[in-house]
Amino acid sequence: MLGFSVLILLPLLTALFCYLIKNLRVQYSISVFVGFLHLTLTFIVFLGLYHIQLPTFFSFDSLSKLFLLILSNVYFWVVLVSNTYLKRHVTSKAQEGKKYYFLLLNFYLASNSAAMLSDHFGMYWVTVEMTTLSVAPLIYYYRNEEALEAMWKYLFVVSVGIAFAFIGILFLTLSANGTSLQGKQLFFWEFIRSAKELNPIWLKASFIFIFVGLSTKIGIAPMHSGDIDATSNAPSPIAALMSGSLRLTALIGVMRIFEIIIPTSSYEFARTILIIGGLLSLFTAFVFMFKVNNYKRMLAYSSVEHLGLITLGIATGGIAFVGAMYHAIYNAITKIVLFLSAGNIHSKFKTREVEKVKNVMNILPKTGWLFLLAFLAISGIPPFGIFFSEIKIFEGIFFLDNPLLLAFVMIFLLFIFINMGKIFFMMLYKKEENETTTTQFEGFDIIHLVSILLLIILVAIAVSSPDVIYQNILNVAKDFGITLK
Amino acid sequence: MENVLSILFSLSLFYVSVTSRVKGYVAVLRFQGLILSVLVLLPFLKNFSIFGIILPITLLLVKVILIPSYINKIILDLDIKRVIEPTIQQIVFLLLVIATMIVIFISSSVIAQSTELNVIPFASGFSAIAIGIYIIIFRKKLIVHVCGFLVLENGIFLFGTAVASELPMMIELGVLLDVFVVVFLMGIALNKIRSTFEGFEVTDLGRLKD
Repeated sequence: MLGFSVLILLPLLTALFCYLIKNLRVQYSISVFVGFLHLTLTFIVFLGLYHIQLPTFFSFDSLSKLFLLILSNVYFWVVLVSNTYLKRHVTSKAQEGKKYYFLLLNFYLASNSAAMLSDHFGMYWVTVEMTTLSVAPLIYYYRNEEALEAMWKYLFVVSVGIAFAFIGILFLTLSANGTSLQGKQLFFWEFIRSAKELNPIWLKASFIFIFVGLSTKIGIAPMHSGDIDATSNAPSPIAALMSGSLRLTALIGVMRIFEIIIPTSSYEFARTILIIGGLLSLFTAFVFMFKVNNYKRMLAYSSVEHLGLITLGIATGGIAFVGAMYHAIYNAITKIVLFLSAGNIHSKFKTREVEKVKNVMNILPKTGWLFLLAFLAISGIPPFGIFFSEIKIFEGIFFLDNPLLLAFVMIFLLFIFINMGKIFFMMLYKKEENETTTTQFEGFDIIHLVSILLLIILVAIAVSSPDVIYQNILNVAKDFGITLK
Repeated sequence: MENVLSILFSLSLFYVSVTSRVKGYVAVLRFQGLILSVLVLLPFLKNFSIFGIILPITLLLVKVILIPSYINKIILDLDIKRVIEPTIQQIVFLLLVIATMIVIFISSSVIAQSTELNVIPFASGFSAIAIGIYIIIFRKKLIVHVCGFLVLENGIFLFGTAVASELPMMIELGVLLDVFVVVFLMGIALNKIRSTFEGFEVTDLGRLKD
């Protein structure tokens, strides 16, 4: 019971507490404490030092352990910097948004943990819908027109998408007709165990509906539009949270149904769909990077790109699968640094347009450097982690004997890198004609500290490659029927 | 009995595709909610249990009373014009709906030959899903989009009863709660949209582009 209380009940109670206590400082302290407890417990469980019992509908496996750790890690750093973020000046209308900030954040933690730990499709659906409900009001934090439109679109598109996923779940029940699973509950593990008996046609239909429906939340093209608007208009900590963890909460559902499909005859079909989805996301990012003029939108498209790459890795299997899991870890960490730096730039320049942001290196030197480093990290420059995970994904695609696919992926990534680089360097170094080049002083605050720590963690994981993470990823791969030497 | 109720449910879909009043949509939502409540009440009548009654009552409360009244309240509060403003002619829309339903009913009966399911609830549910999406696509008013979303949800619910497996009650209740909160949040958003954009139409939302 201890595990369940700390991981799900405690955040829920804290949310309630934040509703009752109006003092922001108190709300902040208790939220950080709960986030820390969550992270500690998840970490201990991940290391395998402690085994926790969960009630019906919830259980731990290697995949949920890994993704829960990523979620918990992202959440803790985001909540840690939230106070600094809330102190920034906003319009008087937006003051009201602060009241519910920590309440919703705790609700977000509870619902996401529940979604990642659920081992029943029904429970998974309910909790994923709750994550949408928790994050939608946070998108509307600034209380302006763009934020309102983004919130409406996100809420609507994702709700319809998740309704589609529900149809997919019902199809899955149909596929169990006439097998030993008929009339049984929709537990993942039961379906995985008897996957071969399932009716292939309904199983395929189920996969398509669940994948397309959840794509609205993962941000897989062509269903990515609501997600892009939401990520680019939400306040930076929330955008980091969405890019780093919320997308994975939806991805885990797709991975569950894929896990069921792997031993069946529909495997090739599902795999092709995933590859198409991944490739289409890379293509979308590739096209829009040419014309994007809003730097937060650029980062949102970068998320589409990386989730596409992860999907591609999962579909490819083999070493690429391992790469995809590493990629999920590295992408989540890098995205926090990117969005937090973007938030600093936004609060200084008061605009998200690339053209109006100039000379960041001199005006905000610390943020500028961190932004630059995070850009190098996200583009896959060594020694940052994404370099290693991308190499693994490429290697997997290469052994797939499909050189054309690899060529396309490489070309898309190359142009995304060039276009993103252009935008980054314009923002960082471009000056007005007669502008002074003296470096201004920028105070050192917790956002910089967190960013530096995260970059260090990123390099440390990549360089030392801890055995515990590798073993866990191997276990996940084993669950997906992939054996590596 | 289930078939009769499902047919009634399908007829309500025809009404929704010809009516031009927002109130008509709300009435249909109430009607569909009532049918669904009776539908889940039926197995309970055969073997009585104290837990069995919780779901029908909650369904009745949420889908027949709370959500429609809430939408009515939004319409009154925001003083939304009472016509729906379609983007295509009503008759074209109706023809589209009929064509879709014919296709769905025929293909369902073909499917039923190989899979065990109740054809009529299955096809009615699926039709409602399709028509919910049509409503979202072919209507301008955002409040009507919310109604379309709810028609879609009702369709999924009916479809779920046709598929014959039972989800645990806790999860059914969770689904209902989620749908209610979604509608509630959409209502709040509509309120804000009204005060920010001075309009309720999808054409007012065009700020976010690349």
